[in-house]
Amino acid sequence: MYGKVVGVAVTGVRGRPVVVEAHIGRGLPSLTLTGMPGAAISDARDRIRPAVERSGLEWPLRRVVVNLSPGSVRKEGPGLDLPLALGVLAASRQVPHERLGAFAVWGELSLQGDLVPTPGALSVAIAVAAAGLQGVIVPARNAVEAALVEELEVVGVASLSEAVGFLRGTFAPQAVEHNRSDTTADDLPAMPDLAEVRGQARARRALEIAAAGGHNLSMTGPPGAGKTMLARRLPTILPPLARDEALEVTQLHSVTGLLDGGGLVSRRPFRCPHHSVSMAGLLGGGGAGGFRPGEISLAHHGVLLLDEVTEFRRDALEGLRQPLEDGRVVIARLHGSVEFPARCTLVTTANPCPCGRSGVPGEICSCSPQSVSGYRTRLSGPLLDRIDIRLDVPRVSRHELLGHDRAESSARVRDRVLAARARQAARLHDTGVTCNAHLPGSVARRVASLSADAERLLAEAVDVFGLTGRGFDRSLRVARTIADLEDASEGVSAGHLAEALSLRGGKELRRAG
Amino acid sequence: MPGERRRVTDLPRGWPVGFGRGEDERPAVVVLAALRSVRPRRLREIAWQLGSAQSCLAAVRTGKVSGPADRGIANTVDGEELLDRVAACGARVALPGDEEFDPRLLDLADPPAVLFVQGRVLAPGTQRVAIVGSRRPTDTGCDVAESLGAALAAGGVWVASGAAQGIDRAAHRGALTAGGPTVAVLAEGIGARHGGWRGSLLRKVADCGSILSECAPGVPADRYRFPARNRIVAALASAVVVVEGAERSGSLITAGHAADLGRAVLAVPGSVVNPQSAATFALLDEGARPVRHARDVCEAADIPFDEAAIAARRAALRGGVDPIEARVLDAVGDGVLPEHVADGAGLTLPDTLACLLRLELRGLVRSDGGRFRRSLDASALEPR
Repeated sequence: MYGKVVGVAVTGVRGRPVVVEAHIGRGLPSLTLTGMPGAAISDARDRIRPAVERSGLEWPLRRVVVNLSPGSVRKEGPGLDLPLALGVLAASRQVPHERLGAFAVWGELSLQGDLVPTPGALSVAIAVAAAGLQGVIVPARNAVEAALVEELEVVGVASLSEAVGFLRGTFAPQAVEHNRSDTTADDLPAMPDLAEVRGQARARRALEIAAAGGHNLSMTGPPGAGKTMLARRLPTILPPLARDEALEVTQLHSVTGLLDGGGLVSRRPFRCPHHSVSMAGLLGGGGAGGFRPGEISLAHHGVLLLDEVTEFRRDALEGLRQPLEDGRVVIARLHGSVEFPARCTLVTTANPCPCGRSGVPGEICSCSPQSVSGYRTRLSGPLLDRIDIRLDVPRVSRHELLGHDRAESSARVRDRVLAARARQAARLHDTGVTCNAHLPGSVARRVASLSADAERLLAEAVDVFGLTGRGFDRSLRVARTIADLEDASEGVSAGHLAEALSLRGGKELRRAG
Repeated sequence: MPGERRRVTDLPRGWPVGFGRGEDERPAVVVLAALRSVRPRRLREIAWQLGSAQSCLAAVRTGKVSGPADRGIANTVDGEELLDRVAACGARVALPGDEEFDPRLLDLADPPAVLFVQGRVLAPGTQRVAIVGSRRPTDTGCDVAESLGAALAAGGVWVASGAAQGIDRAAHRGALTAGGPTVAVLAEGIGARHGGWRGSLLRKVADCGSILSECAPGVPADRYRFPARNRIVAALASAVVVVEGAERSGSLITAGHAADLGRAVLAVPGSVVNPQSAATFALLDEGARPVRHARDVCEAADIPFDEAAIAARRAALRGGVDPIEARVLDAVGDGVLPEHVADGAGLTLPDTLACLLRLELRGLVRSDGGRFRRSLDASALEPR
């Protein structure tokens, strides 16, 4: 007796259709799994029999062999529970074959036979649609997420018996509506707002530039200056997520299990890992349980804040270099490799020295010069080279705050950011990048179209500040963004460039020269 | 003056006539300079008793003068070999009476018996100003030392200092960027290899100035060598300027030596809330002259100052400041936030930041930790 079901295995963020074949033959009662099952699927062996029996169905007391095909790929994830169970039920003629040919099935079973929410539903739905099937049967609580894929019939079922009922035609599940809306964040709980930041006019301006050009940003300043508070408000001035961006983010959050039942992620992610995070935690990793995206991928299309960046493990920080450049992380392990998108805005904060009092008026730094220079060399040059904007954030005194009115709100700043992004998009449409931060040096020089004054200023800065080639490109990119923020400005003027140069950072976090 | 009072000795000035003169004496003096614990004053006492460097060395070899460690060095180190090592590191030996041995050093109660010189010839009669101060200065202190070094260098004056970090380093850097020569006096033996910033600084000093030490190659910088180094800095200079220093700063020792030698002592007034101003306030209290610009130093030390060079420098700076920049400059004080500068100048923040950057490029404004302050050059723009 033979049955065949299409299931889906999720590796990284990609779903892959898996044909689950079941054969029931003569012999002592047993269940054999073949076709490179991963750890979670081997678990399923013992899980599906109780689930079948408690759903009022019969487990064939004969020799059962289940094969997962293609056999060359290792299959991960608990989502193959339901296909395994239905495969056995199909082989034992307890469910008809008709609908099984048109629907993929996917979901994790409990011992009771209930379907529990399973991470990765969106990736599954995308894979099923790509495979050209009519629909997919998923746990009811994943249905909204799966329905983000429009051209697919999504059947949400709460248990194995409902799934069987649907296949037999005796149970009609509630129809799941497709969510076609572009994202709106209006009904979400309030985010922090830039208007709540008092003083720090320059830091606000730097945030605006970072948001407008997608530039990475480092903030150096004494404790209490407001670095973290400012960083948390960066997502509020970034443009809203486009639908395709939102789908990518949702997929990443879905496979990590961060989505609680809701559909599309409509807000730019903000990730702020603790500084004890491991390399695998930051970049993503693969182990016995499959591949998991790291914090940099969870921050995809959003903001990754490394608070107190000098406290992070050196190897984890160094690992950021390639992803920051490429916008993706490739994790290669013995049993395969996966790719996670990782196009985020990096924000780092650091103190000026270990004691944090260096440069604070009226306070004396208690650090030895050696420890200060050691502290500042913790970030390598190549990593710093990927940070376009380096801001010094002073601690603002009580006296200096007096007379400051309530500042501009995030919404107003975001309007300017959106306008600047639109100008960039118009200019960059044929270069393959979307914002100034990702411009390669050669292109940056071309699109900057410096005025003669600006050229002179740049030459002077190279002489006086010892600007390096990379520093030169960084300043050009930032200057381009500053020009984009200004209405209808084509070329980069000396003023734009001068402001960009002022964001190159005074005291570098590493040894100068 | 604070600092140690020197014991009055009844020895004549300088070294005995035959000491260090002649081919046989040179290796002996160099070996004496390699000893660890015979200090210059003690050496001078026995030199006046025994007459020649060779007999001083013999006294060390027999253990009559110093301890077993120095006795070991005196017996094992070969003077000729040591001279070869000196030559190998590109240094020259200057003995009292040589042209390169500045006679002003003999004003000291304990003058060095020998100087090792790398780089340019230390011509006697060169006007020098010592700029000394804290090894952990504030950024303002560094700026002042740097600008002062640059202005003095522009006026044709050599800057002398140690090779420590902080004020010493800033003073050298300022003078060197203005194209002027400097003298760096080391506490350790000549020719030691340094890495990092000190290595690159000393290479630049050797290129256009001189590096000095009274110790032979390989002698480590023992604790007492630092105050000893300071006496040489003071003796070489016509004036000593202390920029910043904490309550018990080594700069006070340099200033003390300078006062004893009759050199001009000046101090840069600092902020009353800055603990690094303690040394300069103490000096001002005892009659040191305050420094506002390089001209103050030259007047106090009676050094002819190249007014034309300074005037040209000022004209260049003032000529480059347009009315908007002048407004911004007026709004910058010490450690001002950019938004306050913008308010003061009546400009938008982006325009202000751009303007501040241009002023920074010209050295009129410094930025640090997100705050801005004027440099000494900007103050020099004001009519006196």
